[in-house]
Amino acid sequence: MATMTIVSRPPENEGMAPLPWRRMAWVTWRQHRAALFGVGAFLGLVSLYLVISGLHLHHVYSAAVACRPAVSLTCNDLVSSFNSSGDFLSSGLVLQVVPVLIGAFVGAPLLAREMETGTFRFAFTQGFGRGRFALAKLVSLAVAVTAAAGVFSVLTSWYYQPYFLAVNERLGLSETTPFAPGLFDLREVTLAAWTLVAFAIGALAGMLIRRVVPAIVATLVAYAGLAIAAGSVFRAHYLAPLVTRKLNVTALDWTLNQRWTTRGGRSVSQSVISQVLQAGDPQLAGKGGVPQSLSVWRYLVGHGYTQWTTYQPTSRFWPFQLIEGSWLLALSVILIAVTVWLVRGRLT
Amino acid sequence: MNIDKENSEQKDPPGPENSAVPLSDNSRRPASPVEFRLDTASGVPTYLQLVHQVEHALRLGYLKPGDQLPKVRDVVALLAINPNTVLKAYRELESKGLTKGSPGQGTFIQATLNQIALPELTTLHRSLLRWLATADDAGLDEDGMAALFASAMRDFFERRSATRARGGASDTETEIVA
Amino acid sequence: MNVVETRGLGKRFCDTWALRECTLSIPAEHVVALVGPNGAGKTTLLNLAVGLTAPSAGHLTVLGGETPGSPVALDGVAYVAQDVALYKNFSAVDLLHLTRNLNRQFDTALAESRLVELGVPLKRKVGRLSGGQQAQLALTLALARRPRLLLLDEPMAMLDPVARHDFMATVMTAVADDGVSVVLSSHVLAELERVADYLVLVSNGSVQVAGEVDDLLASHRVLTGPAAEADRAITSHIVHARRGEAQAHLLVRSSADDPVPSGWQAHPVGLEELALAYMRESGNAELSSSGSARENGPTEVATWRR
Repeated sequence: MATMTIVSRPPENEGMAPLPWRRMAWVTWRQHRAALFGVGAFLGLVSLYLVISGLHLHHVYSAAVACRPAVSLTCNDLVSSFNSSGDFLSSGLVLQVVPVLIGAFVGAPLLAREMETGTFRFAFTQGFGRGRFALAKLVSLAVAVTAAAGVFSVLTSWYYQPYFLAVNERLGLSETTPFAPGLFDLREVTLAAWTLVAFAIGALAGMLIRRVVPAIVATLVAYAGLAIAAGSVFRAHYLAPLVTRKLNVTALDWTLNQRWTTRGGRSVSQSVISQVLQAGDPQLAGKGGVPQSLSVWRYLVGHGYTQWTTYQPTSRFWPFQLIEGSWLLALSVILIAVTVWLVRGRLT
Repeated sequence: MNIDKENSEQKDPPGPENSAVPLSDNSRRPASPVEFRLDTASGVPTYLQLVHQVEHALRLGYLKPGDQLPKVRDVVALLAINPNTVLKAYRELESKGLTKGSPGQGTFIQATLNQIALPELTTLHRSLLRWLATADDAGLDEDGMAALFASAMRDFFERRSATRARGGASDTETEIVA
Repeated sequence: MNVVETRGLGKRFCDTWALRECTLSIPAEHVVALVGPNGAGKTTLLNLAVGLTAPSAGHLTVLGGETPGSPVALDGVAYVAQDVALYKNFSAVDLLHLTRNLNRQFDTALAESRLVELGVPLKRKVGRLSGGQQAQLALTLALARRPRLLLLDEPMAMLDPVARHDFMATVMTAVADDGVSVVLSSHVLAELERVADYLVLVSNGSVQVAGEVDDLLASHRVLTGPAAEADRAITSHIVHARRGEAQAHLLVRSSADDPVPSGWQAHPVGLEELALAYMRESGNAELSSSGSARENGPTEVATWRR
């Protein structure tokens, strides 16, 4: 950047166009490079583990799938080894902390540290204007963390991919629905979006609380609440669930609810079902009365009962990703706007 | 002002009218021969201290016509005082006809004050010592002497300015009558 | 132009009024001493002037009618906060770069040469500089922006005498060079007498004194005389009285032309003594000499009884 040495004062009010946004590039980088390096290092370490573990997982999987003949002992061994090779990562819950840690540790200190150390008295009295200063930082860091999370999500999606393939059922390989609570938000769109919203929550918490450590804690708590609400309440209803009485729901679909009704349409509880099985065919009851078991199903249907399954088909995965990504994006924009509004208000 | 020794130069005081001195070539002009100091405990307003110091230097010959007074900026940087104070002092000196300011070039001595020659100073010094001895015999201590002298000085100058205001005296510096 | 103008300005925090009914017209190209005891409202006034907070009542404008925080005001007003408030993990070079990016005007060459002259190491992190160096750095950054108004909130509180002198020398040099208006808040009066030509005295959240220093000093003096006659003999408005058994010192509002009652002696009053007297008497009276434009008329006295 060229040095500006202006000796004479420009005429008043002439050229009062706001200073260009690019001035904030170096400022943002210099002030937050530690946080960005931290995020990079953190993601790097996690990625390293995912790559090593994932390569092993994929290798075992391809070996199990390619094995011929499918019912031989060696192939069964391969299948078992795949099914047991999932480690603490397989439920996806451990990786849930990635977005919130990034968001909390980049977003919360952003404004909280300025307020806590008093440096806002310097930064906010410069010619650039404090609203634009905050907005420039918020937007550029939001883009940075979201992009980093987006890149990372390619890795996580790759890691979990073997669990989502339809061929698994036939081969007895363990599979799970991509809508699973621990896994849905680790995918391409949602991981980036959740990281973004964590950042936005962090920034707002930082501006409200004005102290770094309490803001980080508040961000973690608020994010956890939102994530739990989204997973257990909102997500199931993005699109009206399908209801079927047939046995066409696979393990890859997201089963929301299953119940039995009588011929007349009255709901029947699980204990009654067990009694019916016990009375009719104790052998079936002995199988634990698991509704999905084919023989149990056939018996009950044959006796006039109907099973209703409410579910979201796996084909709706990407629409759901986009829906979740959209409302998280909208929420982030709102949170960031509120944060900027607070910055422009009374500070002392 | 830093005064280490008395000035032994003898100068005839010019006439009552102030003589203007043409300014010589600026590029060969040295920096100001005097520097100011500030006595924060004296109770005298800062600008007056500066005026007095210039007059004092003129009397003792440290400043001659054509010499430049320190630039306002330099005085301010040295003493950490308000520039307006320096400007006020320089304006006062200019109104007394002792200096002339050239915009962009500085303030220059234009005239001299009647310099008291060394023998006269020695005579005055001796008569003061006699007075002090008398006061000491009368029982006054150091502070008493100073207070009495200050009071007498005040009376004298008040009477003189009152006399002038009535148009009685000419506007000249008069020697102090012992 | 009035560099700071307020009308009925007030600021409330929860239930307490930190500042109330503050009306000032501070002319440009002055060095203004904003004095008062701790907690008087000085920092609040400066925060309002720089836009970090908004008034609860009344109006405040800077630089001849600009709202604090507007682009013109941000451009023309530089502020150094009470504890300097620089990023501790930045070096001086980093801060120069930062300030240059965040402002329309910035004289980098001037700033660098000033810092070198002052002996402030350019590459060392600010947190490892001495208090005096930090204050000089903050001041240099502010002055390099070539502001029209410089607000300093107790900048010398943590400085040793040499550092204080150097700091004021820097400020005064900038006033001499650029004609910048300065508002300097302090609770140390003695140093301000050399530099200030306008005084604003705040106590208990309200303005007790506001006016040109020359006018204030010319319109006050101390009368010393017999305590017993104090109330009878003195007709001028008494600002503050100190009475002993036999002798009393009365700080009165009168000019040098007024006759001195016989038996009494008149002394001129210094700025520190004047300010102390008003601070002690705060709550009883208020003096404001008109400060807008340059008036040579008699001092306006507005008495305000609470």
